Amino acid sequence: MPSLLEIQSAMRTRLLDDSSPAAAALVTASLTSADRISIYRNTSRITLTNALRLNYPAVQLLVGEDFFAAAADLFITNEPPRTAWLDVYGATFPDFLAGFGPAASVPYLADVARLERAVSRALHAPDCQAVAPAQLASLAEPAQGCVSFVPHPAISLLASQYPVDAIWRAVLARDEAAIKAIKLDSGAVRLLIERSTGGIEVTRLEERPWHFAGALFAGRRLPEALDLAGDPNAPVWLAAHLAAGHFVSFAVNEAAHAPAALERRQ
Amino acid sequence: MAPAILPRGGSIPAKAGIGLRFAHHQAVLECPPDVAFMEVHTENYMGGGAPIRCLETVRRDYPVSLHGVGLSLGSAEGLNSLHLERIRQVAERIEPAVMSEHIAWSVSAGTFLADLLPLPMTEEALDIVCRHVDQMQNTLRRKILVENPSTYMQFRHSTIPEWEFMAAVAERTGCGILCDINNIFVSASNHGWNASAYVAALPTEAIGEIHLAGHSVRELPDGGSLRIDDHGSCVAEEVWSLYAEALRRFGPIPTLIEWDNNVPPLEVLLAQARNADAMIETENELRHAVAA
Repeated sequence: MPSLLEIQSAMRTRLLDDSSPAAAALVTASLTSADRISIYRNTSRITLTNALRLNYPAVQLLVGEDFFAAAADLFITNEPPRTAWLDVYGATFPDFLAGFGPAASVPYLADVARLERAVSRALHAPDCQAVAPAQLASLAEPAQGCVSFVPHPAISLLASQYPVDAIWRAVLARDEAAIKAIKLDSGAVRLLIERSTGGIEVTRLEERPWHFAGALFAGRRLPEALDLAGDPNAPVWLAAHLAAGHFVSFAVNEAAHAPAALERRQ
Repeated sequence: MAPAILPRGGSIPAKAGIGLRFAHHQAVLECPPDVAFMEVHTENYMGGGAPIRCLETVRRDYPVSLHGVGLSLGSAEGLNSLHLERIRQVAERIEPAVMSEHIAWSVSAGTFLADLLPLPMTEEALDIVCRHVDQMQNTLRRKILVENPSTYMQFRHSTIPEWEFMAAVAERTGCGILCDINNIFVSASNHGWNASAYVAALPTEAIGEIHLAGHSVRELPDGGSLRIDDHGSCVAEEVWSLYAEALRRFGPIPTLIEWDNNVPPLEVLLAQARNADAMIETENELRHAVAA
């Protein structure tokens, strides 16, 4: 008698690889046992394909339902979910699309998928209390000089050489005129994707503020981020991030600011 | 046994509730319908933002039941503790009246297979399920309900009738049973069981909730047919009849109308719920008449 672990392994193989015969022998009613297992496989595929559709609606509109289903089928076989929380399934689908030969004729597809991934992340990230600007103001000045931030989990940054935000909006709105007006060679875009009380916001940033945000979100200390920005407006950008609730915590790098404090006392 | 700590989410009354799906969020917020409770899939509320905020709003007006579809109580390899922790966090925020899961498995070698897959009805599977129900109840510090499955196949080496398996899980762990009448009807049709005998074999005192849903019928190449539990239509006449039998046996029980595919306008769901309410009321009257 096979153990439960053996049965589940055989069933898993059959659900991921339709041609595997291993599980059928375990089931009664031999005439239709393969059909019976196929019902489970179909449900599984439909559920997972729908999960991808929900996370990548613009990709589906760009390539069509059949193409999307075929790409999803291959992706599901190669990278089935590791969690039952399907809202987060398909984080690597953009990379999969980037290497998916049949999609090569749509060069911006993977970047549109990356934008949709960022949108999905913004939709489903946990709720967190943001750092209030006053909390930072209460720090002593030397500590402020060594502070670094943790960004809100709903926020991400994305850069693309294509106007993927315009493509994404026009495609989801099914706005034919807007789609026609898109110029693929209009230059790179740098985006900030976040969740606000009104919904998901995708904002274009200039190059310097985008790099400054990238340094802050990556946890670089404030002076380094300011140096990298090399722009007198950077403190204003920081104030805007704080006011928008983009950070959930901050840390004061003691090792870095302790010597400075000592110097001051001397 | 279930820890003796009572949940703070109140209880669900012995009336009809509906499964709340995203398609109806707006309608429910704008015009809260007259139903006794709402049930959601726990896995749809594991993130932050709008969905859980909607559920928090609903929770102010209704008792909520958290119905899990992904913990995989029947996995031989053990429960995913991260997933169990996510369930615990949703429960902490929503304070549900009821929490439930399935007698099924969906995780193997860490992969989530995205369906409620059938278990062989063996002593080994029974031990594993009971261990996991204990773990879930201990983690959540409350009693849970476990739902009987709908199945399309049986394993050659199964030794325990499904109704005995269900009763044994309830008896060994102290959990309750979420009796899905449509699942009993679907499985009984597919496997040639007697659906009425299945209902009659369940322990009355363990029944905490009833599920009703629609199913479809698929013709098989060999001339037979298979009933598919797709939650995509109205409750079938035969299932309403079996539900009446269940009410006769169990008494009035909180009853949920589930609809997951081709979700209809809210009004269609509410009409099904009113039908269940009317049948519960009939059963109440019968019992009062007998008592008088």
